[in-house]
Amino acid sequence: MWETFIIEPMTNLLLWIYDLLGHGAHTFGLAIILFTILVRLITWPLNASQVKGAQAMQQLQNDKEWQDIQKKYAKDREKLAQEQMRLYKERGINPFASCLPTLIQFPIIIGLYQSIIRAMASTPLDMLKLARTVYTSLNVEGIIPLNSHFLWMDLGRPESINLLGFAFPTLAVIVALTTYVQSKLTMPTSTNPNDQSAAMSGMMSIYMPLMLGWLALNFASGISVYFITSNLLGIVQYAATGRANWSSLLPGGKKQAPGKK
Amino acid sequence: MNKKTILVILAFTMGAVFLGACSGQVPINNWAGLAADANRAYLSSGSFVYAIDLGTGEEVWRYPQEADGKLLFFATPYLTSDGQLLIGSQGTEHAFVSINPETGRDNWANPFSGAQGLWVAAPLEFNGRIYAPNTDGFIYVLDLNGKPAGDPIEIGGALWSSPATDGTRMYVASLDHHLHIVDPETGISQQEIDLGGAVPSSPVVAEDGVYVGSFASRIDYVTFSGSRELVEEAPNWVWGTPVLDDDTLYYADLDGNIFSLDIPTGRQNWGAVKPDGPVVARLLVDGDKIFVATESGTFYALDRESKIVWEKELGGSIYTSPVSAGDLILVAPYKSEFALAAYDAQGRQAWTFTPEK
Repeated sequence: MWETFIIEPMTNLLLWIYDLLGHGAHTFGLAIILFTILVRLITWPLNASQVKGAQAMQQLQNDKEWQDIQKKYAKDREKLAQEQMRLYKERGINPFASCLPTLIQFPIIIGLYQSIIRAMASTPLDMLKLARTVYTSLNVEGIIPLNSHFLWMDLGRPESINLLGFAFPTLAVIVALTTYVQSKLTMPTSTNPNDQSAAMSGMMSIYMPLMLGWLALNFASGISVYFITSNLLGIVQYAATGRANWSSLLPGGKKQAPGKK
Repeated sequence: MNKKTILVILAFTMGAVFLGACSGQVPINNWAGLAADANRAYLSSGSFVYAIDLGTGEEVWRYPQEADGKLLFFATPYLTSDGQLLIGSQGTEHAFVSINPETGRDNWANPFSGAQGLWVAAPLEFNGRIYAPNTDGFIYVLDLNGKPAGDPIEIGGALWSSPATDGTRMYVASLDHHLHIVDPETGISQQEIDLGGAVPSSPVVAEDGVYVGSFASRIDYVTFSGSRELVEEAPNWVWGTPVLDDDTLYYADLDGNIFSLDIPTGRQNWGAVKPDGPVVARLLVDGDKIFVATESGTFYALDRESKIVWEKELGGSIYTSPVSAGDLILVAPYKSEFALAAYDAQGRQAWTFTPEK
């Protein structure tokens, strides 16, 4: 199931793009970038709904009626939950709309990682698996083995640059930075001191860059190329809405009320 | 904490667990390598190289004695004329070691560690030198003490097969789709012949050239001067090294077809012979039989007319090329109940070997 619906289509799509680009030096990296752009385009409506959902949730947190309800039912969690659901319904808020795209990212990330490793085929057994994965319509004999070099990287291995005898993980740092920037930009600041979700979002904006940075540090650098491209596209997509909170990138940066441009 | 927050945390935790399960490095896994001398079989399988007594099927020694996370053995072991067992590691340090086949101890004080890639193929010993092909695209030239005996020969493309020699030139098949003809003394490339697909197996030296199979689903004949001639096309990739036996060339493809080509006439000796699965391992021609190991895990003995004399279902898959050792035929299945089995010519099982943990 996973193999048929995730790994095989992804691997074949990557190989197809690689072939289309002329399967020369650096083209596998470009294929991953194009693949990411394609994924971003496909999930664009979902991402837009995520942004919208997050904004709606944030606006609710700063809503006078909701804050009054929180105070009123501070000791009755059941009633509070009922009132929360009522408000969601009244205002057409889907509380899961903002986390669905995040959940969708996971099969893509895991599938992409496995597809990159599959396409690289660094051992005979991997090559045999690749032979079983490619569709007959793809003339794979002419393009394998893939050229795994992209810029200074070997996309099948974790990346680092030797600086004064120290292996500096450039991509991992860029992944962490772009993830941080993206999460900070898309995180409107709440004015409600009791807003748990704002506190959680703040925590996630630290946790996520660290987690993705760790993945980039340890995994094939092809996955880092995916993360960076995806983050940059996410930033561009959010900036295009005009809601990016650039001042929040700086420590003590100016707070912005939700929904304001 | 609301449902959304819990869901997000759960999702990230699951993701971290999933990705963590993939392991941090590129997963290195492959089928075993196998070689034998008159007394012992040598099996490279995972953390160890095992020496197995051919008479009893018992383990004589294992190398290293304790598992070392930096060493991983799947390459084909190679026995030199002066009694060394050479093998490269697919582990993190790409060590190329020499083992004493009698004791299982290191011959060299320090293994050769100059390669950047994995070791998959066995080396070639020629004129007192070791020519060791690596997946980093270089052939490393060492003396029999493990010291560099010349500059590495840059081939290009990963090297998964042993070089072959006609006594003057060296023939190197590469995944870069080319057969390289190299002067072994100077390391200078004399010819590069495009074969249209990656070449995972060794060329076979014939009278005035070499036969070579490729992922281009064909067998080519390349003369010493570098001219290429199509011998036969196959329905699928030709993976295992072809076998030349007098005037007959035996080979198989990934569809599981077994071919017997009469070279003087250019005609196939058989009609369609297709056992039960794809064939990756080199065929073994020994006496009046042809031994075929399939991915479906069956080991066949065919006669010269392609009739099945006997067959054994070993379980798992068989990718490792079978080896003849004295009166025994050795076969190493992948992911089977045992790691190695020995049969006599009549198909009677002499023993099986399963490493103790």
